[in-house]
Amino acid sequence: MGTATPEDAISGALRRPRRPLIAKRRHRQFVLTYLFLIPALSIFLLYRLIPLGWNFVLSFQFWSPTKPAEFAGLVHYEEMFLFDDVFRVALKNTLIYMLTAPIGIAIALGLALLVNTEIKNRGLYRTLIFLSYPLMPVGVGIIWGWLYNEKVGLFNFVLRSLGIIDEPIAFLESFSTALAAVMTAAIWQILGFFMIILLTGLQNIPNHLYEAASIDGANRWRQFYRITLPLLRPAIFLCLIIGIIASFTSFDLIFVMTNGGPGRATELLITYIYKTAFQLGQFDYAGALTVVMFLLFVAIAALANILTGGDAGKVDIN
Amino acid sequence: MASRVMNNYRHWPIHTTLVIVCILMLVPFYWVIKTSLTGENLFNYPPSILPQNPNPYYYVDAWYFVPFARFFLNSVIVASMTIVANLILNALAGYALTRHFAGKRVVILILLSSMMIPFQATIIPAYLITRDLGLLNTPLGLALPAFSHIVLIFVFKASFDAVPNSLIEAARIDGLSEWKIIYKIMLPLAKPAVATNIILSFIWSWNDFLWPLMIIRDVNMQTLPLGLSSFQSYFEDTTGSLYAFSVMVLAPGLLVFLLAQKAFIRGLTSGASKG
Repeated sequence: MGTATPEDAISGALRRPRRPLIAKRRHRQFVLTYLFLIPALSIFLLYRLIPLGWNFVLSFQFWSPTKPAEFAGLVHYEEMFLFDDVFRVALKNTLIYMLTAPIGIAIALGLALLVNTEIKNRGLYRTLIFLSYPLMPVGVGIIWGWLYNEKVGLFNFVLRSLGIIDEPIAFLESFSTALAAVMTAAIWQILGFFMIILLTGLQNIPNHLYEAASIDGANRWRQFYRITLPLLRPAIFLCLIIGIIASFTSFDLIFVMTNGGPGRATELLITYIYKTAFQLGQFDYAGALTVVMFLLFVAIAALANILTGGDAGKVDIN
Repeated sequence: MASRVMNNYRHWPIHTTLVIVCILMLVPFYWVIKTSLTGENLFNYPPSILPQNPNPYYYVDAWYFVPFARFFLNSVIVASMTIVANLILNALAGYALTRHFAGKRVVILILLSSMMIPFQATIIPAYLITRDLGLLNTPLGLALPAFSHIVLIFVFKASFDAVPNSLIEAARIDGLSEWKIIYKIMLPLAKPAVATNIILSFIWSWNDFLWPLMIIRDVNMQTLPLGLSSFQSYFEDTTGSLYAFSVMVLAPGLLVFLLAQKAFIRGLTSGASKG
């Protein structure tokens, strides 16, 4: 690779005293390269890697801000898996909530195919569909909470006017609809993002593949299954990963719209973690919950990788 | 000509579908703006679809009721710090990554694995670290975890990779220091990457909610999302004002997005297009 290690540079300087300039320059370059990297790396060390390790250690301790740490072994995990009903509900809700990713991607794929055609104003369509993505999630929660309002919300009004329902539905206050209602708002927000990513993927598929396929007599569905979908895999993987991260971390919408209610009907792991740590002060137990949430995320991301073809992770490395 | 007409004729189902989708996507925008102008509340059934007697009264009300300017200023301060830090840190790191050096694989591995750690999976120790640094309740504490985004480092790297090596060599022979090479040659040639860095770090900082919720206790230090969520409960009976306030909070971010749409989307798709 022709890479100069510091050892190379230093021993080079020792062995060839007549050419110290080059060795010195290489050494300087090496130091300078790391000097450029250190500020960014220290942020990730301080706020990603160290916290992840600390959190792991915390989950095996008894600890609170007022008392010193004490080894706890698996006590927190035992409590979580054997006795904590809220954890079980939050876990189930988080898994259901993750469906926002595949549902959103399926709808967005249809939209991406539509706005990828040679039609007029497609730029305008793209912008309008994308417009919800950069919105502040807290604002999205407030707007959708108002749309779902039982008495004068737009949805109830439309459904009643059309005669679909007789009695107004309290979407966010009823156990059967609250989670689906929040998920709908989440899909509304992220749909445009999925569409743009998939659109980029579609535009990267060389046109001659379709031409060749149609000469060979493949119809549109066949072309879609045999060319479009396989070649879209990296883009779909990216959407899945970001969609899964988004649903794991969809704190803002839940906090503003339902705060986990009614009861625990919309409690997600992330909202439960927040409440456990910052409202109840049980940092150690919340740490254990976080470890489970993170491992679950890694497992599902790996699964998504396999489902989309195995090597889709390569997208990131280049 | 005939084929063109045929084409347009064939397109109308697509147009119809897209128009319906766009209307569905825009309804929430319309409804919040309408409510902010008419102030219909829980006693107005049925709600009117078109605004009746629109007036700016609720905006005035919200302006006096909420320390909007204070929240806005806090948000601007935090976002500015984040943007400047991202430009410097990401440009430096992106430039370093265009070169060959010992340990590059390890550095890239650290970056890619950090990318797979959602910030939400680290909030408790992140809070404790910020507390130990004495940064609770400060703008710096709010901005620090977002000082560098890995995706944005790679946006800079990709852009710098496109600069011909001969140009950099020539600059070196002319005696330009590495700092000057970045500042005088790389950054001017990477304007789109700079724009992408600014807009994405801005939007992410502007919309951030969970982190400020954890580390801000003082009302005077609250940013817009916090202000919006905490004043939600105060507005129970004054529906119009809450939605006027929501519009005031949402408008700046949306405006910035519309002005820099291209740079924004380029940043989001940089991962997808490389596959």
